Amino acid sequence: MQAQVEQWLKEGKVDIFIGYKKVDGHVMPHFFTKENIDEVKDLVAGQAHYSLEKVATKVAAEHPDMKIGILLARDCNQQALHVLYVWNQLNPNQIQTLEAFEASSDSEQPEVSAPYKQQMGLGKSMAPKDMEAFDHAERFSRWMYEFSKCLKCYGCRNICPVCFCKECSLEHKDLVRAGNLPPEIPIFHLVRAVHMAGRCIDCGLCEEACPSDIPLRLLYRKVDEIVQDVFDYETGTSPDQSPFSVLGEKVVLEPIPINE
Amino acid sequence: MDYKFVPSVCPYCGTGCGVLFEVIDGKIVGTLPNKTHPVNEGKLCIKGWNMHEYVNSFMRLKQPLVKTFGRFIKTEWDEAIQVTADRFKKIIDKHGPDSVGVLVSAKITNEENYLAQKFARAVIGTNNVDHCARL
Repeated sequence: MQAQVEQWLKEGKVDIFIGYKKVDGHVMPHFFTKENIDEVKDLVAGQAHYSLEKVATKVAAEHPDMKIGILLARDCNQQALHVLYVWNQLNPNQIQTLEAFEASSDSEQPEVSAPYKQQMGLGKSMAPKDMEAFDHAERFSRWMYEFSKCLKCYGCRNICPVCFCKECSLEHKDLVRAGNLPPEIPIFHLVRAVHMAGRCIDCGLCEEACPSDIPLRLLYRKVDEIVQDVFDYETGTSPDQSPFSVLGEKVVLEPIPINE
Repeated sequence: MDYKFVPSVCPYCGTGCGVLFEVIDGKIVGTLPNKTHPVNEGKLCIKGWNMHEYVNSFMRLKQPLVKTFGRFIKTEWDEAIQVTADRFKKIIDKHGPDSVGVLVSAKITNEENYLAQKFARAVIGTNNVDHCARL
């Protein structure tokens, strides 16, 4: 793995390689370049879950011509990259990937919920069909219990590798005024869930970043299930644009002037 | 071309969450939670997630301001500390040391808090020491 990256950097196949390095005992994302080629021997794959693709989009936004190498340490990284290619956030010709799967996007042990959560909410290890075993009223009250814990940290959005909108409707100044509270529950979560349709690759980073243990993955899995059933679109593997792309060749809707 | 990740500790509250700053060309462009940090285990609150914004804010104070004749005047640290000391002295001479209180913070280290209480008791001569976390 190290030899391959070293060769790529030396040959100029990549200008920068985004991988992991151990710093103070923590496996952290690290940029490897030709200038600090000695550091390549410290390159590790590691079990840490960071969204290196998202980091790559930031680099690509600053320097569009840069050739970027990315370490794929998890099986979902490739899918995330695919979604970013489809949505024109990264140029596939500029990206080199190196596979070194050490971690899985599925947690090794299904987490057992605490008794109160079992009684009131929804578990992280549930599958959409387990959730659907509850009738509508109970399902709604269970989801509302989960959403009510949200402290609006926006962590699920910030960590998400496929959340790249320039203007986020969860904090757009015309929708959420400065000084006002963020959108209420369940609107906050449902807006995000709807936007995840055709984008979510089920990497689980949102759930890991959630300080309130909301089973976000279950919600987005259900959304993806609907996308698959209705549109026959496999997010992260289908080569064509998602059915939810509203960006086209021409504008069909006249923009409405907003009165200040 | 200068890209790096800088590990740090969130300066907002006393919890001490581990963060990673994304630095591109010498400018902090993003904050990520440290996934393996024992305190926050890859989670952050809204303040921690947006730490890079205040670092780059144009409203950030970069040098001390001394209020003179009702207006804030930019000055150097030595002068600001001297003015503060002079004015404290004046207040203590006139109203006694108990007219001064020292408020410390959960954001700073134990050692700094220790120094602050020592300053209050030994230098100013008051027991008026309190901290922001005592709500």
